Amino acid sequence: MTKTPILQVKDLHTHFQTGGGLFAEKTWLKAVNGISFDIHEGEVLSLVGESGCGKSTVGRTLTHLEPSTSGKALFNGTDILPMTGAEFRPLRRDIQMIFQDPFASLNPRLTIEQTLAEPLFIHGLAASKTDARAQIAETMELVGMDPKVMARYPHEFSGGQRQRIGIARVMILKPKLVIADEAVSALDVSIQAQVLNLIKKLQRDSGVSMLFISHDLGVVRHISDRVAVMFQGQIVETGDKQQIFEAPAHEYTKKLLSSIPRITERVA
Amino acid sequence: MALLDVTDLEIAVAAGGKLLPVVRGVSFAIEENETLGIVGESGCGKSLTSLAIMGLLEGSQVRITGGSIQFDGRELTTLSAEDRRAIMGDQMAMIFQEPMTSLNPVYRIGDQIVETLRQHRDMTKGQARDRAIELLDLVRIPEPTRRVDSFPHQMSGGQRQRVMIAMALACDPKLLIADEPTTALDVTVQKEVLDLMADLQTRTGTAIVLISHDLGVIAETCDKVAVMYRGKIAEAATTRELFSNMSHPYTRGLLNSIPVVDHDVEWLEAIPGRVPTIDEVLPGCAFHPRCPLAEDRCNAEDPAPRDVANGHAVRCHFAGGAA
Amino acid sequence: MKYLRTFLAMFKGRKLATIGLIWFCIVAVAAIAAPLLAPFDPLEIDPVARLSEPGTPYLFGTDHFGRDSFSRAIYGARMAVIIGLGSVIVALVTGGLIGMISAYFTRLGHVLMRGVDVLMAFPALLLALVLMTLLERSVTNTIIVIGIVYATTTARILFGMTLKLKGEVFVDAAICSGAGHGSILFRHILPNLISPLLVQASFIFAFAQLQAAALDFLGLGLPPEVPSWGNMLSEERIYVTRAPWLLIFPGALIILSVFSMNLVGDAMRDSIDPRFKDDIAGV
Repeated sequence: MTKTPILQVKDLHTHFQTGGGLFAEKTWLKAVNGISFDIHEGEVLSLVGESGCGKSTVGRTLTHLEPSTSGKALFNGTDILPMTGAEFRPLRRDIQMIFQDPFASLNPRLTIEQTLAEPLFIHGLAASKTDARAQIAETMELVGMDPKVMARYPHEFSGGQRQRIGIARVMILKPKLVIADEAVSALDVSIQAQVLNLIKKLQRDSGVSMLFISHDLGVVRHISDRVAVMFQGQIVETGDKQQIFEAPAHEYTKKLLSSIPRITERVA
Repeated sequence: MALLDVTDLEIAVAAGGKLLPVVRGVSFAIEENETLGIVGESGCGKSLTSLAIMGLLEGSQVRITGGSIQFDGRELTTLSAEDRRAIMGDQMAMIFQEPMTSLNPVYRIGDQIVETLRQHRDMTKGQARDRAIELLDLVRIPEPTRRVDSFPHQMSGGQRQRVMIAMALACDPKLLIADEPTTALDVTVQKEVLDLMADLQTRTGTAIVLISHDLGVIAETCDKVAVMYRGKIAEAATTRELFSNMSHPYTRGLLNSIPVVDHDVEWLEAIPGRVPTIDEVLPGCAFHPRCPLAEDRCNAEDPAPRDVANGHAVRCHFAGGAA
Repeated sequence: MKYLRTFLAMFKGRKLATIGLIWFCIVAVAAIAAPLLAPFDPLEIDPVARLSEPGTPYLFGTDHFGRDSFSRAIYGARMAVIIGLGSVIVALVTGGLIGMISAYFTRLGHVLMRGVDVLMAFPALLLALVLMTLLERSVTNTIIVIGIVYATTTARILFGMTLKLKGEVFVDAAICSGAGHGSILFRHILPNLISPLLVQASFIFAFAQLQAAALDFLGLGLPPEVPSWGNMLSEERIYVTRAPWLLIFPGALIILSVFSMNLVGDAMRDSIDPRFKDDIAGV
């Protein structure tokens, strides 16, 4: 990990206007208030924190779903934040996002095949429909789904299956950086374990870098190499997984870790 | 006689002219001062069971099709709506998952507590208001004399859930049903709310039924646990017994599915397959399509609950050694 | 076939709405097959039989020129359907586009929607009257004017619904896949608006009948020689005491048609996506 990081975020701010306007003074919510981190190639960095800490906004800013207020985000050395929509569009192939809610993230009016074909055609990665179908079938097998079901609509699938489809939509582009925003939070425990294993396996096999955003410390420990703890728009502590979980330095990290209900305490 | 005694409860959903069973033969009992945890994944029937106890299924597509619910010696399933109203909010109360939607946004929180109090108790407005402040103090809302006049939107999620608890406790209920009371809350707030509930129980002796999908929450707060799968109790025991002697393959699978914070696991032992939907008809043991132990007989024969230890019942052909 | 079945399923257990749908089908058949169904030419004058009572051969009687009222009513159905469909298309296309684009491109939307607000400040009939006085009486102009009147409400409704859909996660997901504005609007958002648009269409169809009849009655709608229900009312209104059937038949036809389409619209509204139920409150 001596190479330059694939993503370098420097002093990122994302503020939202919450009030004011023509006559009243403008008020701002500083959702992300000056954070910096690096992600190296093939590394999984987790951004962990409680609701409202700004972790999701970080992911949405890096994918241009929210405009940034200031700061830099160097992807392979180029700052992606000042880019226009048109300039950023080709880079979307490399920077992909997995969303939380598997029920809301698929267009109910498109079949699985249509959903998965769209990114291929947008980025010119499929020569023909047959070619696209072959790639879709391959990716569906990769995420543990039977390609035969590609003609179906999202409502015919369970939450876990839909999340696999969401992951397939990301992996079909062979991205360089995946941002996973609470990717397993909406799933039942037994399904969450399957999907978590799948994400870990795909990450290992493809070597893709990953920003894993989550509130669940157990999930974070399972998937990450390094962890950044966020609190009120800022990163309070960054470190290797072992260090964060076994020797947390910041008070807030300690509080988070001690708040988790544990099964062992009562039983042992 | 237990405070709450649920026997062979059957609940079904009416869908497309058919009745689909969603809770099938659930039995449990809870004493005063005791906390029972019901754990399971979505669609296992845990929430419907709690709604049935509270009598909140009426008028919906869901109905009780069999069994009995005895509360304090009274049969609840045949109780008239009027008698039920007298009990609800008074002798038994409920806390829901979403504290934002379960408080009425247009009324001050104090007024909402006062209303509950005056419905069941002969109190003047002043007395009820004093009691409301007392309750807010009890659930550790800071500056209760001022916050009693707040609107729900002026409070944080954790505070709203505490207001809900205050409202539920207003009439010193004998039974409190909490359906995923901390699922919408952050872990640090969750800990505060769970601690508060445990603390209040030691003071008031209220029996609590805690519904959760989180084995950790159950392990930390409950005396007894019932693990539900597909409408049936797969395994039930005291918390200590259950976690030291897990006997149902589903319970074990559930535990192994949870990524833990205290040590590293390379791959989680996930339960294969998916949670069955309510319209699927599964012969034999409902868990057999996902079960690592499954044999031919699991497909054919639904296992009856068998005791593997004192008060530890398991619905599995392989429980307690020999099949 | 699948769509037809889902459409018909909406009317299950709704007697009034089913009657409305049947009535609409009758009007539609009359409109399509008017030349075959009408016993006489709607413009043919029989001077001998002026103002004759309903009977044979003039089922609905004749008007003061001696034209067959029944034939005119059938051709009137054709006009009703043309006006209805035309207004629906104008309203949905212009209003729909303005609403969707305004919600999607917020800055442009501020300007466009203020314009819509100004138009909406006028009562529908007054707006139609003002616009009609500026234009020549013709079928096309009547359609355009009624279309514009209901384009404003359509724009409002679509603005709200597009705004909701724009916040959906699947739209974010499409953006992250690299989809452009056109693809987001027409491939991801529009298909999710089809059912509310159909409901909206049925209400516009109903209200267009009323508007057209009112314009005709005031002498500002269709040219007088065109056989429409509104014109029939307008021309024969002075004979209300001598030949009341000349007013009763077209009047009843207008009321029945408006009422039917409203019932159809209600039935459709009740079975669409609950997210949008509040948005469509009628036109």
